[in-house]
Amino acid sequence: MAALGGGGTRWRRAWLPALQLLRRGSKAVTRHWKAMHLQRQKLMAVTEYLPPRPAVPPRCLPRPSAHGVQEDGQARVLRRQVQDTLSASRMVAVCHYNPMADEDVATFRHYLRKHGIHVKFVLNEIARPVVAQSKFRNLLPLFVSRNILLVSAEPRAREMLRVLRGVPQVILLGAVIDGTILSRRGVENFAQLPSLEVSQGQTVAALSLLPSQTSSLLQQGPARLTALLDEHIRRLRDAGAATEPPTGNH
Amino acid sequence: MWRWRLPGPLRPGGGQGGLGRITIPEKPKLKFMDKVPAVPKVRREPRQLRDIRGPSEVATDFTEGQYGILALGGGYLHWGHFEMIRLTIGRSIDPKNMFAVWRVPPPSKAVTRKSLGHRMGGGKGPIDRYVTAVKSGRLVVEVGGRCEFGEVEPFLARVAQKLPFPAVPVSRESLQEMRREEEEKRLNNQNPWTFERVVTSNMLGMRKYLSPYDLRLKGRYWGKFFLKHRV
Repeated sequence: MAALGGGGTRWRRAWLPALQLLRRGSKAVTRHWKAMHLQRQKLMAVTEYLPPRPAVPPRCLPRPSAHGVQEDGQARVLRRQVQDTLSASRMVAVCHYNPMADEDVATFRHYLRKHGIHVKFVLNEIARPVVAQSKFRNLLPLFVSRNILLVSAEPRAREMLRVLRGVPQVILLGAVIDGTILSRRGVENFAQLPSLEVSQGQTVAALSLLPSQTSSLLQQGPARLTALLDEHIRRLRDAGAATEPPTGNH
Repeated sequence: MWRWRLPGPLRPGGGQGGLGRITIPEKPKLKFMDKVPAVPKVRREPRQLRDIRGPSEVATDFTEGQYGILALGGGYLHWGHFEMIRLTIGRSIDPKNMFAVWRVPPPSKAVTRKSLGHRMGGGKGPIDRYVTAVKSGRLVVEVGGRCEFGEVEPFLARVAQKLPFPAVPVSRESLQEMRREEEEKRLNNQNPWTFERVVTSNMLGMRKYLSPYDLRLKGRYWGKFFLKHRV
């Protein structure tokens, strides 16, 4: 049992905690999250970030108008396009659009294009201000959700309804034909009306019915007289022919 | 496809560092990285995990591209990671209009591994593979060309998820924004006690429980991890 002192074993001579603690435990950089010393944990907790707190919470303040005066060039162009479309076409039908496959949309457009009807997709945030300021402001409640416009220069309601009947995803909401706002039923009635030429012809025929009857009315008397006389002559002739041969035979 | 919403206001196009013309280099895809360097190491080197610890000093900013992957932690990239990055990005970019560039060197650090199931002792193991050390805040790859962040972000995010350290896809603007936010946080912190202040003035003898590296790392790094939420 040698006395421990300067000549003791080297483990007793100097003992630095930093070096000694390194013998056990992991290195500084580990794959796992190394457990922090409690004092370090406390320090990390005390020195956390504190965000600034305004005196009045922003939730209590009135909401600032976010969009404001930011006039978008593209929105302006689109608005101009919608205005031109509305003014240049005689028939404008507003429909609700449910998503369809692209090829179905293309077929639909093709069929309508054959009758001269154009399909226009519109954004409500552009269409609503345009419609509100034009003469169609009663159509404003229709411009909600996904809409398309079917526009054409000729009011071809019958063909349009026929195509729409075959496409259940597009629902007709209302239309403006020649400045008259029509509901769905109104459009159907309008479609059943005969076309302009036919109705003009019918009007002319109805008006000229009486004048065409006038000549026949006037001629009715003499015509009857003529017929009666002819009949009489025929009877006399028949009677004469019946009596004559017996006298001729004498 | 008809879009039912107006696109947001156009931002002035940020070209390569603000240039108008974008030139696609001759080899737009990522270069192939060797598994083993041309001159393999004979002498096995010590682990030196300090090459993972702390913030990165190199490759922290964009050079040629507009979008990239930013490492938010330290780690080692080996050949498997390089191949994954190279093939995924090569598959996803359009070589006529986009290009990609490495921002990390090929693997050069030799990492040893002892064979499985043996006891301790018997010397250092043989070299298993070569790796590249990546510190937090370093860019791994850069992508550029005639493309938007929205096109590039999905596949960069997929690549970033597969890396051994947390990573995010960034663009020039988003990186600037990140740094600006960090700076703002640092300036408007209402807490009078910051880690830096406590460590530099050794308040309450805290340095007994902290490492001398904490003077530099200021409580934002712990091992290879980067603590984003700390100020």
